[in-house]
Amino acid sequence: MAMNTVTTEVFLARRWKRYTSVLLLFSVGVCLFLVLNIVLGSVTIPLGDTFKVIFGNTASDEAYSSIIQDIRLPRALGALLGGAALAVSGLLLQVFFRNPIVGPFVLGISSGASFTVALVLLGSYLAGMTAVSSLTLSLAALIGALLVMGVVLAVASKVRDIITLLVIGLMTGYVASAASSFLVAFAQSENVYRFVIWTMGSFSGFRWDEVLILAIACLVLMAFSYLLAKPLNAFILGEDYAHSMGVNVKRFRYLIVFISCALAAVVTAFAGPVAFIGLAVPHFARLSLGTSDNRVLIPASILGGAMICSLCDLLARMLFAPVELPVSATTAIFGAPMVIFFLVKGKTTI
Amino acid sequence: MILRTDKLTVGYGKRSVVSDINVMLMKGQFVCLLGPNGSGKSTILKTIVRMLSPLGGEVYLNDRKVVQMSNQEMAKTTAVVLTEPVSAGLLTAYDIVMLGRQPHSGLISKATIKDREIVIDSLNMVNAGNVAQRYFSELSDGEKQKTLLARALAQEPQLIVLDEPTSHLDAKHRIEVMLILRQLTREKGVTVIASLHDIDLAVKACDVAILIKDGYVLACGMPEDVLQEEMVTQLYGMGNANFNRHLGGIELKSKQTGAGIFVVAGAGTGSSVYRILIKHGYTITTGILPENDIDYQIAESVEAATIKSQAYENMSHDSYLTALKLLGSSRQVIDAGFPVGATNQPNIELLKNALKSNKLVHSLRNREQSERLFGTSSNKFLYSHDFFELISAVKKAEQT
Repeated sequence: MAMNTVTTEVFLARRWKRYTSVLLLFSVGVCLFLVLNIVLGSVTIPLGDTFKVIFGNTASDEAYSSIIQDIRLPRALGALLGGAALAVSGLLLQVFFRNPIVGPFVLGISSGASFTVALVLLGSYLAGMTAVSSLTLSLAALIGALLVMGVVLAVASKVRDIITLLVIGLMTGYVASAASSFLVAFAQSENVYRFVIWTMGSFSGFRWDEVLILAIACLVLMAFSYLLAKPLNAFILGEDYAHSMGVNVKRFRYLIVFISCALAAVVTAFAGPVAFIGLAVPHFARLSLGTSDNRVLIPASILGGAMICSLCDLLARMLFAPVELPVSATTAIFGAPMVIFFLVKGKTTI
Repeated sequence: MILRTDKLTVGYGKRSVVSDINVMLMKGQFVCLLGPNGSGKSTILKTIVRMLSPLGGEVYLNDRKVVQMSNQEMAKTTAVVLTEPVSAGLLTAYDIVMLGRQPHSGLISKATIKDREIVIDSLNMVNAGNVAQRYFSELSDGEKQKTLLARALAQEPQLIVLDEPTSHLDAKHRIEVMLILRQLTREKGVTVIASLHDIDLAVKACDVAILIKDGYVLACGMPEDVLQEEMVTQLYGMGNANFNRHLGGIELKSKQTGAGIFVVAGAGTGSSVYRILIKHGYTITTGILPENDIDYQIAESVEAATIKSQAYENMSHDSYLTALKLLGSSRQVIDAGFPVGATNQPNIELLKNALKSNKLVHSLRNREQSERLFGTSSNKFLYSHDFFELISAVKKAEQT
């Protein structure tokens, strides 16, 4: 049976309908969990007051305003942005490495961040410092993440084979982890506890200035990533095909590694290494849409990442309240079975 | 002239694989690269499309050095189909073909109506319109290859470079792909260069054959001129087989030692008998075969000891006597059931002689016909209804 314009239009229209419904559904999910994250918490705040605060009016209780404005709202937005950033980062790397089990931290970003955080947290004791502010920690994490990114970028355009790049990233990560372990062995238990908690990731204590930095970085990098959607699609067929379709493979490698690592780095700086979002969400988006076309997958991953990360943070806060779980605990508990399900179902690859 | 190479040397790093390549490809030509595994066919193709840098010399595309062309320019003139299997996640065949439009569109621009039409035409051209809406990963190897071919077409190239486009395919799809490629060259004036393993298909479909062997271009020209028996044997270094240009195929050689089995054949009745005997390791002698007999062609290719007679002539007494001598020294005789006419009576005499001297003579002929030809002595034949019975009987006789 030959193909004609009419059947093609029908096929494309049907597909487009699926794309828009999925994107709409994800958007609704993002809004829903964002609101729940603001409304729910260890302190019960009347719904009316909550909305008053959100829309800039004063609540019946001064404390309510403060809880919502200074604690819940920035945290909810942090989780939302962080999830979106990690999902896009994971998506880019999965396509780039043509490997479905790759995530944002595969190139050692989290290990690099962990190492510098360990250095600050555990080393400060030796240096005679007693208290370490969260801003210092963020800065340390960012420096560590960017250091590893620098190493990976330096080799990115030189290695012939992208799998070599993957191995270099992994190995850099191992070295950084080993260095962290070294520091842990010599550290005070109190600081070790703080370090371990940090490595499990958390959106608690997110401040407005952090939200602002994260938002700007995310928006710029995500917009940039969208510009790569087309060459990224060509990359699905492999580097050689991409090259034959006019993609400048070297420059493209550089950009992909830069954008995905930078996204992972800023999130890690403020929230620590949040596991699984970047690995699971791209698969979730791919299966929901039924396509590997990155022009729709990127927006879907942004929305899906925001939605699922918001949900996970909500669960981390509420499940055993007032005890708060590390966010990686909830993301892994939900993410791991999800990934297994997707891969066993056999539909999704990259 | 689309493509020209000038003293091109290709290879990896410092190790050159093929040197001094000087070829010209004209518009609308179907060119194949033939050569043994590892001879450098893929290396040449990869160098032409700039996946590898030349170690020496130049590649010119439309009289421009390819090393000076931008990726975009290159992609607009040249498309590739690679041999490595492709995994395409959740992309449909339509999506894959649409990727071919990338060199012609902007970074974020949507597919235009023209793009869609080209994609549809490309898919239809390779008879893959029916799989357009299916996921690429769920297609058969043949459908996948056709889709990748359509993707190359959607690039609207002047030159398509294919690395072993038929290697994973079944007979039907191999032929289909070759016919599509030929159609492209004829109807769209696209130049096609492909590395191939099937000499038989190459001879029948290509305009130019380039033979690569031991680091050099062994020969280059029309396949009918270039692919002579000795050339092909030399090209692949085949010790145990021969290429037959008339049949366009390869025949395995017969064993050359020891007393053999004498096959009396003709008009194609012998071909299967020879192949079966060779498969089971027997030495074959055969005759008398006129030079214009298909059995003669095959007997020559399998290098059986063959007694021949001249085309369109009666079989000579000399050849009869030679055949009789060879028959005398053979252990078993097979009557392949050849048709009998005015010019091959000596073959009937040969069989009668064999029966008289109490040799074991198998026959694939039916009894009625045999009685008519041989009278009462037809009872002495050991009849086989099919090749299975024949080879079983031959083996049994050999053991006792």
